[in-house]
Amino acid sequence: MAEVIQKKLQSELDKYQQLQKDVNKSMSARQKLEAQLTENNIVKEELNLLDSQNTVYKLIGPVLVKQDLDEAKATVGKRLEYINGEIQRYENLLKDMERKSEQHREVLSSLQQEYQRAQGHPVGKV
Amino acid sequence: MTSFHDQMAAPGKVKRSNDLLRGVERLKEEHRKVVKDCRGQIEHWKKVEKDYESLQDRLRTLPDKLSYDIMVPFGPLAFMPGKLVHTNELTVLLGDNWFAKCSAKQADTLVEHRKKHVKNALDDLQKTMKNFQNRADFTVDLEKLTGGTGDFVDIREEVVNEEEVTKGKHRLAHKPNSKPKQDYVLKLKENNKGEGDEGSKRGVLSEEELWARLDELERQEELQDERCRLDSTDTNGEDTTSSSSEEEKAESDSVQVNGHRKENGWVSSSHTSQMNGTNGSYLEEVEEEDCEETGNSLPTIYFSHTVEPKKVRINTGKNTTLKFSERKEQKEQAKRKKKNGKSNGHSLLENYKITSPADIYRVFVDLVNGEPIPRKSILKSRSRENSVCSDTSESSTADFEERRVAFGRSLSHDDATHSDTSDGITEEDSPTGSSPHTNGRFEAFTGTVIEKDPLPSSIPHLTIAPPALPTIPERKLEEVGTEMPQEAPKRMSKFKATRLHHK
Repeated sequence: MAEVIQKKLQSELDKYQQLQKDVNKSMSARQKLEAQLTENNIVKEELNLLDSQNTVYKLIGPVLVKQDLDEAKATVGKRLEYINGEIQRYENLLKDMERKSEQHREVLSSLQQEYQRAQGHPVGKV
Repeated sequence: MTSFHDQMAAPGKVKRSNDLLRGVERLKEEHRKVVKDCRGQIEHWKKVEKDYESLQDRLRTLPDKLSYDIMVPFGPLAFMPGKLVHTNELTVLLGDNWFAKCSAKQADTLVEHRKKHVKNALDDLQKTMKNFQNRADFTVDLEKLTGGTGDFVDIREEVVNEEEVTKGKHRLAHKPNSKPKQDYVLKLKENNKGEGDEGSKRGVLSEEELWARLDELERQEELQDERCRLDSTDTNGEDTTSSSSEEEKAESDSVQVNGHRKENGWVSSSHTSQMNGTNGSYLEEVEEEDCEETGNSLPTIYFSHTVEPKKVRINTGKNTTLKFSERKEQKEQAKRKKKNGKSNGHSLLENYKITSPADIYRVFVDLVNGEPIPRKSILKSRSRENSVCSDTSESSTADFEERRVAFGRSLSHDDATHSDTSDGITEEDSPTGSSPHTNGRFEAFTGTVIEKDPLPSSIPHLTIAPPALPTIPERKLEEVGTEMPQEAPKRMSKFKATRLHHK
């Protein structure tokens, strides 16, 4: 009886840990996205400070490619939107994972209790 | 089995306190970690800011020359001499693989813009650090509190009588700066001096009669204001409480203190603590940080409030209400005076014990038609012969006579009557030889009062008066019978008398 519970407990624990790792990964991805968001915001503001007389370049690999100022502004804007969308996606993902981990936690605690009881009974009987 | 349970119980208790201690330690650790992190980040951002500043300096000096002779780094280990040309043309990294060609000045603007961001980050970090520092301090204080050490003392007041919580009508919330409605406030119950219900039904008395009560009334109103404000901070939108621990709470709002008095937030707790106060209570319960075990490990001060004599609010009709207490007592005194003979408007007060400024006004009361009326100014009398003290100021005869008449009439109110009180010069005994009478008639002063300056010195005058009082009553009792015939000669001013004498 106790062994069965123990095995169940173990599997649940593994699943829970896996879920936790996923949560952490999503968290770090989201943080990266946040950093990119702030950076792109700064780029957008600085582009607004320039005028069309300055030439704008984009670094693609080892090459600096000339870009039009307006084009650059549009590109940066689009990138910003993309980043925002990604952040939203990750938010939802994180929420889901949180919920699942909650469920797992509950299951784990109940299993633990059972296990304790199973442990306690044999001791009492003896 | 019972022994087993006992064994479990005792270690359990010890374990719990250990857990608490460990918890507190852990909390402190976390706080310290956050604070350290913040410090590290602040260091980093400060460096960045300094770098940007040196960059700005370079940008400003760069276009000074057309070209610079420099040692150009050639690989990681070598330099070679070279020239720096096109000193105004810069390629600036805007972030995220975007570059822009700008002049030095434009680059300068960009750098300024970036510095702004850095500054914002620095400010945020500073704020977080301070916040967490406060939290750490708070936990330390809390620990001290639970341990019973430190300077924290629990002050408690047991409320016996629930009736005394509100005095009269409960005040309605009103706009912060508007004057409260002047309602009649009926007396709730009799005080220990035994004032009757007659005091409760009071009509509108004229201002003149009740001016003397103004100071006391204002004091009472202020206290009520404070209490009401504390009760209804929401409605008034004012945060006027000044207890320091409440301010602390506002800062460390995330930490909830679980004292038996504190429910959810300090507003409700202040409310309940106010409701626990008795009427006329001048205590503001200090919102100390309570320990979790309801203060059983704290030194406790038990406080009990003595009930003040009930005061009655009277609407004087001119934005003031005065409180007139011990009315019955004065009535009794008035009755006694009546029996002794008609006095000239000065009531003889037997209760000369003066313990508060209010008592002064109580003592110096005119008697008009048998009614004790608070005198406006204790420096003045209604009639001339009430002058007792010698007058050492130089003034014209006319003024002098005027003043004598006005003596005892006007209010010795704080701001209103500077000129009046300067007029309230005590007068010499009239040379007609009725000095003992004048002494006896006017109980305010029996000594010499030198009056040269306005109101502020009226207060020392008041202090001169009381010691003389105990001697007055006996004289008055003696001379009351002989007052009437003496009135006429007394009405003469000293100057007039001298003039007549000279004639």
